[in-house]
Amino acid sequence: MPELRNVIVFTIGAARYALELRWVREVVSLGFVTSVPTAPAALGGVCNLHGTIVPVLDVGALLDGVSGSAARQGDGALVVEAEAMVCALRVDQVDHVASLHETAGEMIDATGRPLRLLDPALLLRRAVELVAAQAERTERVERVERGS
Amino acid sequence: MTDGELDFDAEELAMLRQLFRSEARDALEAVTARVLAGGSAKPPAEALTEMMRVTHTLKGAAGTVGLPAMVDLSHRLETALVALGREPSPWIAATAERLLEVLDGLRGYVDHMAEGDVEARAQALRGQIDQLVRPTWRVESQPPASVEPLLEAEPDTVPEPKPWLRVEPQRIDDLLASAGELLFDRTRIERRVQLLRTLAREVAQTRQTLHDALPEDPDGSDRDDDGDHRDGDGDRRDGDRRDGDRRDGDRRDGDRERQALVAAEAALAGQATLLSQTTAALLDEVEALRRTIGELSHGLTRIRMEPARSLMAHAARTLRGLRRATGQAVELRTFGEAVEFDKAVAEQLGDPVTQLLRNAVAHGVEPAAERVAHGKPPGATITLRARQDGSSLVLEFSDDGRGIDTAALRKRLVATGRWNAPRAQLASDAEVMAALLETGVSSRKEADELAGRGVGLGLVRQTVARLGGEVTVSSQAGKGTTFVLRLPLSATLAQAVLFKVAGQVYALPSVYVTGTTTVGAAAATSIVGPDVLPVLRLEQLLGHGAPNDRRPAIVVSFAGKALVCTVDKIIGAREILIRPLGALLAPLTLYAGATISGSGKVQLILDPAQLVRRANLEAPPARLGGPGEGATALTLAGRALVVDDSRAIREAMTSMLGSEGWIVDVAEDGARALQMARQLRYDLVVTDLEMPVLGGFDLIARLRADERLGATPIVVITSRANPEHRRRARDLGVRALVAKPITRRKLLEALAAR
Repeated sequence: MPELRNVIVFTIGAARYALELRWVREVVSLGFVTSVPTAPAALGGVCNLHGTIVPVLDVGALLDGVSGSAARQGDGALVVEAEAMVCALRVDQVDHVASLHETAGEMIDATGRPLRLLDPALLLRRAVELVAAQAERTERVERVERGS
Repeated sequence: MTDGELDFDAEELAMLRQLFRSEARDALEAVTARVLAGGSAKPPAEALTEMMRVTHTLKGAAGTVGLPAMVDLSHRLETALVALGREPSPWIAATAERLLEVLDGLRGYVDHMAEGDVEARAQALRGQIDQLVRPTWRVESQPPASVEPLLEAEPDTVPEPKPWLRVEPQRIDDLLASAGELLFDRTRIERRVQLLRTLAREVAQTRQTLHDALPEDPDGSDRDDDGDHRDGDGDRRDGDRRDGDRRDGDRRDGDRERQALVAAEAALAGQATLLSQTTAALLDEVEALRRTIGELSHGLTRIRMEPARSLMAHAARTLRGLRRATGQAVELRTFGEAVEFDKAVAEQLGDPVTQLLRNAVAHGVEPAAERVAHGKPPGATITLRARQDGSSLVLEFSDDGRGIDTAALRKRLVATGRWNAPRAQLASDAEVMAALLETGVSSRKEADELAGRGVGLGLVRQTVARLGGEVTVSSQAGKGTTFVLRLPLSATLAQAVLFKVAGQVYALPSVYVTGTTTVGAAAATSIVGPDVLPVLRLEQLLGHGAPNDRRPAIVVSFAGKALVCTVDKIIGAREILIRPLGALLAPLTLYAGATISGSGKVQLILDPAQLVRRANLEAPPARLGGPGEGATALTLAGRALVVDDSRAIREAMTSMLGSEGWIVDVAEDGARALQMARQLRYDLVVTDLEMPVLGGFDLIARLRADERLGATPIVVITSRANPEHRRRARDLGVRALVAKPITRRKLLEALAAR
C-alpha cells in the first residue's frame, strides 16, 4: 500500500526531486555564498541565514558524486532541518507542493514523470561523512608528509 | 570656584574630579530612569525618596572635590524633589518632561565643567530647577491629551541598596577575550581527541587483522599461558623467557615465529584496550572542559549584561532632542526595560536606535493637522519594546504615522535605477519595504526622501547584521510602521585582522598577528627582523592563484612558532563577532569559526595553529640524527617519554614537546620509565639524572643494555652539567645534555643535535 506524502517538488539540473514538507523550514533566495576552501565539493559554501551560518549543499554531489552548478547569491534553496542540523539545499527551480504516493522511495507526479524522494537525514549524514573524511585525509596527508 | 582650601594637589584633584564625573553621570542616569519609569505621572514615594538619596549623595561628593556650584545645583534639585514629594504635590504632567530636561542639563554641565562660561550655564540650570515647583505652571501649561505611563507600573522594581563592585570595563573585556581564546583552544583539543579516537579504532582493527592472520595453534595451550601473564606486564616478559627456555630445541622455527606473533598480538590487544580506554576517559574530560568553559564564558557574559533601561533612556534623550529641533509632538512609550542583554550588544545599538527615531520623526510621523484630519490624536506615539525570545533579543520599534507608501517606493526604486520596472511590479509589498533596508552607499548622494531614509536604515541593517542579527520592516498604510530588530543576547567579540584572498575576506585573531610585510614572487622564506620565517601562500591554500608576484603578507605567531602568510590585500584590524561554523563544518581544521560582515556576508576565521602546521610541512622537518646510525634518523614527531621527579618540569616538557608534535608520556622515576619503555616503543627519552628509585644514569644504562631499546635516542636534562657528567653521558650514547633551567630554544637545539 503506497503511502501518501506531502512533498515539495523541485528541479536541480535535469533531475527532479521531492522532499517531504515536514523537513522544509523555509524556501529562500540565497544571500552571498562564501566558499569554504578544503571542504568537499558537495559543500557549495556557507551562507548567512537570519544571522546563523548555514552550509549550502549540492544534492547531486552528495547522492551521486556529480557536482551541479556552483551555488551563487540569488539561487533558490530549501532550508532543511534534520539530524539536529540546518542546511540549505541549492535548487534550480521549485515546481509545486503536492500530496503524492510513495512506493519504496519512488514517486510519480501528476504528469506521470518519476520523482526521487529525498531523505534529508541521509543527505546530512552523508555530508557529515564526506566532511569528516576530507578532514581526516588532510590530517593524514600531513602525518605522512611529516614522516610519522 | 577656588581649589585653594582643598587638601589635594592638582593631579589628585584632577583624578578625583574625573571620578566624580563618572559617579555623577551614574547618579543622574539613575534618577532619569526613575522619572522615565513613571511616565508623565508622579513617581511613587519610594522612587522619589531614592531620587532624593542619590541627589544628596551627589551633593556630598561635589563638596568633597571642591565644586561649590555643583553643590548648589544638587542642593536645589534635592529641595525641589522634597517639595514634589509632599502632599498635595505640585507635580503636574509637564513636570516629568521638565525634570528630564534638568537632568539632561546637569549631565551636560558635569561633562563640560571645565569649559566655557560655566557660571552662565549653572545660572540657567538654577532657574530651571527652581521652576520645577513653581505653582504658576498649572496655569501656563496644559497636560497633553493622552497621558499614560511610559512603563507598566512595576512596584517591586525598587531594589534594596546593595554593595556594588566597581570594575573597569576593560578588565572584563580582557577576561572575555581570554575566554574567547579558550574557545579556540577547546576546538583544537576536541579535534585532536577525535583523531585519537579514530586511531584507537584503527589499532583495534589492526590487532584483529593480526589475530585473524595468525596460523592455527598446533596444541592450543599457549594461548591460555599468554592470557595468564597479560595482567602483570613485568611478569610477562619473564614468562616469555621461561617459555622460551622450556621450549628451546623442541620446536621448529615456524613455531617460534608463531609464538612471537602471538605474544605481539597479545601485547597489542592490551595496548589497544588501554588506548581506547584512555581516549574514552579523555573524551569525558574534554566534555567536562567544554562545560566549564561554557559556564565560564556564560558567567563572564552575565557580568556584562545590562538591562535595556539605559538603551531606553538613550532613546528618550534622543527623542527629546528631536522634539526640540522639529517641534513635532511625539511621545515615547517603552516596554521591557528590565530585559537584560550583553553590554557589547547594547553599546552597538545606540546609533541604530537614534537612526530609527530620526527616521520616524522625519518620515514616519505626520504633522499634527494631518493626523487630526485622519482621525488620529495630534500627538504621535513611538513605541520601543524589548523582549527576550530564546537566545535572541527582540527590539520592536513602531510609530503610529502614515506608514510606508509602497507605490511611491516602487517608483523611486525604478527611477533611481536600482530595480527595473517588471521587478518593481512583481515584487510584493514586503519585498519593496525590505529594499528600503538594502540601500547601499551609492545612493548616499541622492537627496530625496527615499535616500534620506535609505542611508540611515541601511546603516541600521549593517550594524545589526554585523552583530549577527536581522531587521525586518512591516507597515500598514495610514496606521504606522514597525521595525523589528532581532539580535543575539550576547556576543563574543574579538579583535581580528581582516584580509582578502582569492576574492573572499578572511579573518585572523589579532593576538596571533605580529605584523605585516611584503613577500617576493617565489620566496619560500621571508626575513622578518632577526628571523627567517617560512612562507605559507594563502592564495594557493585558499584559492588557485599562482605565486607570481610580490604580495602583501601577514606575520602570524602561534605557540612560539612564526610564519608569513601571503594574501591579496590586507584590509585591517576590526572588532568581529565570533560565530560557530556549525556541527557539519566543525571538522574542517583550517577554520576556527566565522563572522558576519556588515553586508551580511560570512567571513571565515582561520585557525593560526593550522597555518603554523601547514607552513612547517613545506619546510624540511627538523631531524634527530643518531651517531653511527645516520640512516635511521627519526623525524621530530613521535612518542616521547619524559622522566623527571619534578611535576612542574614534566608539565613544562610535555608542553614544549607537545607543541613540537610529540606525543608525550611521563614517568616520575627511572624504574617506572623502564617499565613503560618496555611496554611501548619510544622514539625519544628525555630524562633527569637525580631521581628516586632508579636514577638517570642507571636508567640509561638499562635501556642501552636492552637489545630492543638500546637505540632509543636519549636526551639528558640536568642541573649538574659538569664535565664528568658530560663524559659519562657521551659514553652512554646520550644525544645531548641540557642544563636546567630548560628553555624551548635549548630543548630544540638538543633535539636537532647530532
